[in-house]
Amino acid sequence: MWDGIYTGITTAVMPFNLLMVFAGCFAGTFIGMLPGLGPVSAVALMIPITYGLDPSSGIILMAGVYYGAVFGGSTSSILINAPGCASTVVTAFDGYPLARQKQAGKALAIAAYSSFTGGTIGAIILLFAAPALAKVSLSFQSSDYFALMFLGFTAVAAFSGKGQVVKALIMCVFGLMIATVGTDVTSGIPRFTFGSLEVIDGVSFLLLAMATFALAEILMTVMRGDHNNAENAIDIKDVGSMKLTKAEVKEIAPTMVRSSLFGFLVGVLPGAGATIASFLAYGFERTLASAKDKLKFGKGSLKGLAAPESANNAASTGSFVPLLTLGIPGSGTTAIMLGALIAYGIQPGPRLFVDNPEIFWSVIISMYIGNLVLLVMNLPLIPYIARLLSIPSQILIPLVLFFSITGVYLVSFNTFDIVMMVAIAGIAIFLRLLDFAMAPMLLGFILGGIMESNLARALAIHDGSLSFLWERPLTMWIIIIAFLVLLLPPLLGGINKFREKKYIEKAVLGNTGD
Amino acid sequence: MLNISKDRVGGLVFLLFSVTYGYYAQQILLMPGDVSQAFNAQTLPNALAIVGVILSMVLLVTAKTSFENRVDLVGYQFSLVIKLLLLIIVFAGALKWLGFMLSTILFLVVGFWLLGEKSVKRILQVAIPFTVCTWFILAKLLDVYLASGKLFTVFLGA
Repeated sequence: MWDGIYTGITTAVMPFNLLMVFAGCFAGTFIGMLPGLGPVSAVALMIPITYGLDPSSGIILMAGVYYGAVFGGSTSSILINAPGCASTVVTAFDGYPLARQKQAGKALAIAAYSSFTGGTIGAIILLFAAPALAKVSLSFQSSDYFALMFLGFTAVAAFSGKGQVVKALIMCVFGLMIATVGTDVTSGIPRFTFGSLEVIDGVSFLLLAMATFALAEILMTVMRGDHNNAENAIDIKDVGSMKLTKAEVKEIAPTMVRSSLFGFLVGVLPGAGATIASFLAYGFERTLASAKDKLKFGKGSLKGLAAPESANNAASTGSFVPLLTLGIPGSGTTAIMLGALIAYGIQPGPRLFVDNPEIFWSVIISMYIGNLVLLVMNLPLIPYIARLLSIPSQILIPLVLFFSITGVYLVSFNTFDIVMMVAIAGIAIFLRLLDFAMAPMLLGFILGGIMESNLARALAIHDGSLSFLWERPLTMWIIIIAFLVLLLPPLLGGINKFREKKYIEKAVLGNTGD
Repeated sequence: MLNISKDRVGGLVFLLFSVTYGYYAQQILLMPGDVSQAFNAQTLPNALAIVGVILSMVLLVTAKTSFENRVDLVGYQFSLVIKLLLLIIVFAGALKWLGFMLSTILFLVVGFWLLGEKSVKRILQVAIPFTVCTWFILAKLLDVYLASGKLFTVFLGA
């Protein structure tokens, strides 16, 4: 392991890779700050650039962008109450009230310190957890992989929110269906191409990711009229002092550590991601808070800001565990990174640890460097970077649209791809209006090919019988866990309802007691 | 406001899609020896079509009819989004005929204007320097080949 860490450090601190971390953090902060564009869109926008880099540098750049975007999202949450992404929605609960109380600088500093703590604790746990899990998963066979991918789909569905499970599963299937377009890898037979040569190689991952996230996301912002919404903006040029008092640090330190550990664990679960982690951590801290502190939540509580910020960064790191060790992405962003790795010809999973240790370890080490960059460089520069928010949206939006389109065009130099992007973005907008999430679709699309080849291999080994699903214990257990995960939302919903009922009963009893 | 639940519309659309997908999955040509194989090019598409039909049926049956779940198209700026999508298609065509520089300037100018920027001076002040800088970075620094438009190569012989 120490050899690996050494390899990782030497790769990550190579001047070019360090530059990638810096550039990634900055670009991510910029993009993440733009309302409507989150880490997924930010990482998607980077794909065309990474095609010209070697795999380590490309993934390091993407990881930097990921962190930067989460951090940038917090900044717009705090300053203009417009979260750049879902995982920073909770940040606005207490961050924006703090900014309104002329404490924007303090809120930004807490967000940065919490993100740093979350990211650092996450990176340290990842350092030990990932290789351990990778070693275990080396014994995995095709049937286990098939089961793991099935687990990935059910997990994404389970954590997609109340009443969204079936819709998320549908989107996974939709993604798998899109993945079947093009030439079948095993037999060489074209499928669903309708005689067109343009799709003979299948739908491009880059095109799909850019159309459904970058393009559709920005067009959704336009459609909702969010780009005209400037009434929430506070004075960005004067964010106030960024210093924290000793008492304030003492107050938020335990919250940061707790939420980081909590966030990491949630992030490791495939499909759960940073959003769920931030909501859960916020709720958890509010439950732990004293009656007096509880009242501050939602009105500018420091703990209420530190908890989701630590948790979402730790979860972002945690979501790399299933990606690096099992080849199953833990979030929409890591799904895109998985696609990028596959495009490089690298198969993430247990073999990554053995075959490409420099990628495995340099990503982990660069995460730590990325966190440091965010704290040391981005925090002091935030008042200046935040001025981006004052660029009028009528100027900014066409520029972002241009980047999304040319990002795809400059890889293929085929204008048909742009037309296809428009068509896919149109479908994505239609589905978004019906409350269908895009991340499960992308996950299905990315895993489609691998899932099909593993299923084919498993069936070939077992003479065409599906008996491997129950005859091989590991496969069976993963399938059982997958079904259990699917049953989690209704179970948690039931528990929450019961708790709410109890709480109301208690409150009513308390009131009558007065 | 339409009195239809989002789940029902989604379920119905996906049901139709799955049935169509299943129909075309049956049309996938197989190699002579593949038909008797346990796994061939049709296996996964057929399975996905069946799962798709089942899931969309489940969505249709369990569709929520609550107020929040109704299709609400009020307040969305559809026309603006359609105009932007059309602009992107025109941009794709322009790339072929006018080349990178002119089509990008055209795209940005119309884009800024569509989104509400009415100051011609400001539009040009951003669009032209931005395009020139991007072209310089791509063509000169990164050595990306950006073809001249057909209009120049075919008609003007440039």
